[in-house]
Amino acid sequence: MEIMIDIDLCYGCKTCQLVCSFHHTGTFWPDRSSISVFRNPQNGIVKWSIDSTCDGCKGENEPLCVKYCVYKAIRIVKKDIKKKEGRVHDYDRQY
Amino acid sequence: MTTIGNIKGCLAGKILRVDLSTGKIRTEGTRKYAKKTLGGRGVNSLIMLNEIDPKIKWCDPENLLCFGVGSLVGTMAPGACRVDVSTINVFSGGKGSANVGGFWGPELKYAGFDNIIIVGKSKEPVYLYINNSQVELRDASLVWGKTIFETENILRRELGDNNIEIALIGPAGENRVKGSAIIVDTAKAAGGSGVGCVMGDKKLKAIVVRGRGKIDVAEPERFMKEVTKCYQQCVNEAFGVRWRNSPYNLYSDPEWEGWNTNMVVKNGQDDYWEKEKEIRLMNHRTGIPSMQKGVRACYVCPTGCIPYMEVNKGKYKGTKGEGFWINTIMGHACRFDISDPESVVKSWFLTNELGLDGDYVAAGLSWIFECYEKGFITKEDTDGLELTWGNGSALNELIRKLAYREGIGDLLADGMIETARKIGHNSEYYLIHIKGQPSIEPFRIPKGWGLAVSTSPVAGKHLRGATMGSKRFGPKPRPGDFNVIDYKNQAKNVVWQGKTKELEDNLGICNYVGTWGGANFLTIDNFVELVNAGMGLDLTEEEIMNHYAVVGRNLEKAFNALHTNLCREDDLPPKRFRKEKVKSGPYKGFKADEDKYNEMLDEFYEYWGWDKKIGMQTRTGLRKLGLEDIAEKLARQGKLIDK
Repeated sequence: MEIMIDIDLCYGCKTCQLVCSFHHTGTFWPDRSSISVFRNPQNGIVKWSIDSTCDGCKGENEPLCVKYCVYKAIRIVKKDIKKKEGRVHDYDRQY
Repeated sequence: MTTIGNIKGCLAGKILRVDLSTGKIRTEGTRKYAKKTLGGRGVNSLIMLNEIDPKIKWCDPENLLCFGVGSLVGTMAPGACRVDVSTINVFSGGKGSANVGGFWGPELKYAGFDNIIIVGKSKEPVYLYINNSQVELRDASLVWGKTIFETENILRRELGDNNIEIALIGPAGENRVKGSAIIVDTAKAAGGSGVGCVMGDKKLKAIVVRGRGKIDVAEPERFMKEVTKCYQQCVNEAFGVRWRNSPYNLYSDPEWEGWNTNMVVKNGQDDYWEKEKEIRLMNHRTGIPSMQKGVRACYVCPTGCIPYMEVNKGKYKGTKGEGFWINTIMGHACRFDISDPESVVKSWFLTNELGLDGDYVAAGLSWIFECYEKGFITKEDTDGLELTWGNGSALNELIRKLAYREGIGDLLADGMIETARKIGHNSEYYLIHIKGQPSIEPFRIPKGWGLAVSTSPVAGKHLRGATMGSKRFGPKPRPGDFNVIDYKNQAKNVVWQGKTKELEDNLGICNYVGTWGGANFLTIDNFVELVNAGMGLDLTEEEIMNHYAVVGRNLEKAFNALHTNLCREDDLPPKRFRKEKVKSGPYKGFKADEDKYNEMLDEFYEYWGWDKKIGMQTRTGLRKLGLEDIAEKLARQGKLIDK
């Protein structure tokens, strides 16, 4: 299982980053998040990344970043699909 | 007075005080102020009222420039990202306040500060760098004179950090153009009241923040339970669903009722814009929507209302940036009768890039266009620009001249009332302003909107209580039904909306996600639970709505009473709209009826607990809020009704 983003759907609100830090620390501490989001409003770029500290939100029914993404940009995918296609929305389009 | 226990969470805990004259920097605790107002704008208002002497003018070094981040900002509360910027209003001389979202506010809280209070004036241009607890004033000569985009890029390079958040002014603020904004996060503006002009006057170019700390809440589990409920509401909200599924934003929604009620055309000559022009502007293949490349959201916001646009054709090809709202169309299209989409987008982004307030530009410059039409000024006065309706390139050139005070720009930069006096010819009558601040708002058709704007304590602007009669807009449950074009029942709704906005500004929650935007994103119940769980308090809805949602407005009202001679007459719509009728469209013949507006005002004052006759505060009303000391201050100046 892997958490991935369809960056075209991402609004750059950083909710995923914040809620991830809540999972890790029980408080709101974006610096301790597994996710980082970078936005550049000058050219519309949004970059999203997740690091190896992600534990898939152990103890929760579903990863919190997936649960709280109202724009449905973050999803869970199988690992081999990531290797094959690289991006989630390519995978969606194919099927 | 309602007394609350110790605030146990949500606040960063410190207020940063910076004296630009001496370079001294110190901190103090937030809690004693937050206890009285819950935080955010309330704290700013309280500090301003306590510390600014009534003799002080906006350009004196003793004037304070206050940044207040809402108390829930930094947590997961939906849409909690707002910052209030308060100072002396450069237009009215009373309370000035502007509100902005983005990512700067949360960053400041993670750095450990709830508010920044700036006093004094620097001799040389400086910027404030806050890197967690390390705070320093740095030389800004490298970025002085640069636009918003350029300044941000230089500062990021200089500090070697891409994650910094910046609140800054552009050339307009540096040149002390009255309608200057403080721009946050490249594209979001704290626009009203001339806050950017005050920042420029203090020679403070930017406030750069990097925060790596945390925000605790009192009862995390209970808080997150409510947050989940709020997110669910936002996800299910019908308007929100439609919005998220549409590739375009609200501004391009042809079914939005505001197209017929809120558009002021040609500086108020009419309130109806021809449909052909609207269609040309908003065509999904060739108009403004075709330039939208994506949508962005502020920090932890579930509504996402910021379009990212790129101009893909015409002479402004290559212009790009974030942010485009219905105000843009109200201001930069209809008011100038411009239906050329590229020009409208360009003029809006230019306004942002130079650090101007879009509303000031729209209302002020459309008035100068009308002066040109009526022959009060000629081509000689405008440096050769033909200020004819629909001339987008002339508008863009004029905006640039205004920001840099070139030629006619210098005449316009000191405020439109001053300009009107210089121009003469009864031109002041045609200037649409509230308490001195140029206004783009409609008054003749939507009556609640008009009442809210004309009574706003910060000189115009619709966010202090404007109501929409739309099916989608406005709160549910409403405090009472009303028809947007009627006078009946409006005052009650305006007051309710004003109160909830007060609460939202203190908590830092966006009005759009709160009670104004979508029909039912967040409600008062949600606020009560978020405050109690987050801050560890035990407040009831009644305490929140009758105290914390009221106290801030009273502080602002008192500040205005002490610093200005504004009276009941100043709470009425502009004269032009009371005399001239709407000329065409479905609401032909409508005007802002003075008697009816006065009736609404009576009702409005009564709901706030102020004296009906002259609109002043009363001793009993202030005592109820625990503001006896302020009542005393007002009484000493003869600005209090002793009953």
